[in-house]
Amino acid sequence: MKSIHLQHTLPNVFTERTDIRSDIWLQDVTFEKGDFYLIEAASGTGKSSLCSFIYGYRNDYQGSILFDEDNTRNYKISHWIDVRKHALSILFQELRIFPELTALENIHLKNGITSFKTEKEILSYFEMLGIEDKLHQKMRFLSFGQQQRVAFIRSLCQPFDFVFLDEPISHLDDVNAEIMGRMITEEAHRQGAGVICTSIGKHIELPYKKVFKL
Amino acid sequence: MNKLIWKLLRQHISVGQLTGFFFANLFGMMIVLLSIQFYKDVVPVFTEGDSFMKADYMIVSKKISTIGSFAGNTTTFLNEDIADFHHQSFTKKVGKFTSSQFKVSAGLMTKSVGEQLNTDMFFESVPDEFVDNSLKKWNYTPGSTSIPIIIPRTYLSLYNFGFAQARNMPKISEGMVGLIQMNIVIRSNDNSKVSHFTGNIIGTSNRLNTILVPQKFMDWANNTFAPGVKPETSRLIVEVHNPGDGNIAKYFQQKNYDTESNNLDAGKTAYFLRLMVGIVMTVGLLISVLSFYILMLSIFLLLQKNTTKLETLLLIGFSPNKVARPYQMLTLTLNVFVLVISIGLVAWLRTYYTSTIELLFPQLHVATLFPTIVCGLILFIIVSIINLVAIRRKVNGIWMHRA
Repeated sequence: MKSIHLQHTLPNVFTERTDIRSDIWLQDVTFEKGDFYLIEAASGTGKSSLCSFIYGYRNDYQGSILFDEDNTRNYKISHWIDVRKHALSILFQELRIFPELTALENIHLKNGITSFKTEKEILSYFEMLGIEDKLHQKMRFLSFGQQQRVAFIRSLCQPFDFVFLDEPISHLDDVNAEIMGRMITEEAHRQGAGVICTSIGKHIELPYKKVFKL
Repeated sequence: MNKLIWKLLRQHISVGQLTGFFFANLFGMMIVLLSIQFYKDVVPVFTEGDSFMKADYMIVSKKISTIGSFAGNTTTFLNEDIADFHHQSFTKKVGKFTSSQFKVSAGLMTKSVGEQLNTDMFFESVPDEFVDNSLKKWNYTPGSTSIPIIIPRTYLSLYNFGFAQARNMPKISEGMVGLIQMNIVIRSNDNSKVSHFTGNIIGTSNRLNTILVPQKFMDWANNTFAPGVKPETSRLIVEVHNPGDGNIAKYFQQKNYDTESNNLDAGKTAYFLRLMVGIVMTVGLLISVLSFYILMLSIFLLLQKNTTKLETLLLIGFSPNKVARPYQMLTLTLNVFVLVISIGLVAWLRTYYTSTIELLFPQLHVATLFPTIVCGLILFIIVSIINLVAIRRKVNGIWMHRA
């Protein structure tokens, strides 16, 4: 996937509003593979909705979202599965990890789909983010910040053309935020992928090509 | 990784619920299979014909009415009557019953016990072509003292349940009937000639009520013991093209002929049996349907409790197929167990009534478990397919909830 093209999109819940001033909604926006983008959003502006629309798990919007000029509104389930396996990776704001499995099991669950990363790589990620002692702990016993780091590692365990990071450092200190920034830059360069980050305030320091205000 | 999915999703499985479904389904399927098997096992009792007289043969006699007797109507078939039969469109062949013109005394003696059951009888014979020609033993050379005979089945039942039961003697099954020898004494009507013969029972018939001997023997014996006497034909055996032909009943009514209709009762009983089995089977099917519904509810409940997890799995790239798989496997496994155990139970329960049937109707070929297995498999396949499809659709529904 080389581009994500948003054409005149707007969440259905906003259709009554007349005061939409946004760089994304109702605009013609294209994200190119290989570039970094930041989407700054105040609360309630539809940030999570945007992620849901692009990721295909909600379609209550007007306008079009095109992957390589292919309208995703017509995508069948199998197509979406394919996209999520090979083209699009996402770090959810709400993480969506499985609390009853251990940290490593959560990673294995995702990595097992494509076997993209080796065990060694995974273990090194844990070390880099300082949570290697949590490998075999059930997720529900980790703090949100630790869970967030595990979810981040999970988002690396697949081939992708674009990676979506929805508020990735909301519960991290600056040190870890910086490490995460390095990790995602390295991975994006390796895969030639595009990175789209969102934030309400704090954001990772990355060489953003463009900053959007939602 | 599949292990992980299973580990994730097996939470919330209520063993109690699934056990309940399992037993309900088992019960239902067992009732259905047992009724089918029972029907298949028992129905031949009423519909199985003679071992050597085909259903297309009809035994015809003239109706005996009081007025007819007074008016002097003959109860025997004259040559014109027989010729007329040949002219009918439904007739294929006509044969005469020849009856013995001499006195016959027949005695049954079992080799083991030695008691005699003796009675005066008469013989009948029909042309060889009406007797199953695979009976190679149906032959007689004049002068031989051994006669192959076919006795009515009622004789066997009479012996088994009347004689043997009362005197605590061993019962005889159809297979053992060959062990029995009958002592036959033939006297001419003026008692001038007496001869002893041995009768070898080679089969039983449920359409005769007298002892059948080969036509060759009858001709020889009539000639020897009642020379010059021309036997009258009081019964005919007629082979028809189609026993269900309406013209047959019309012709018989017109000519005041009677045909032995012991099959009528059997038909009624068979109908009743069918009705009873049908009712039981319907109840069984209902139970099966209900238990199947319980399973569906249980699975849906499971899916419901796990909705978020399933959603997440779908979001991180698992296909609905993969996600539905654990539940489908669970259902399938349960169904397989139900099938296997219910077939086993049917086989076991069956032994209770097959021994009774074998005793009462020894000539019956008791059916195999084949109908049970086939029906069980069909039910299993249908139910499993419905289950699997329903689960898949539910999982797809989870996808659709947000998309």
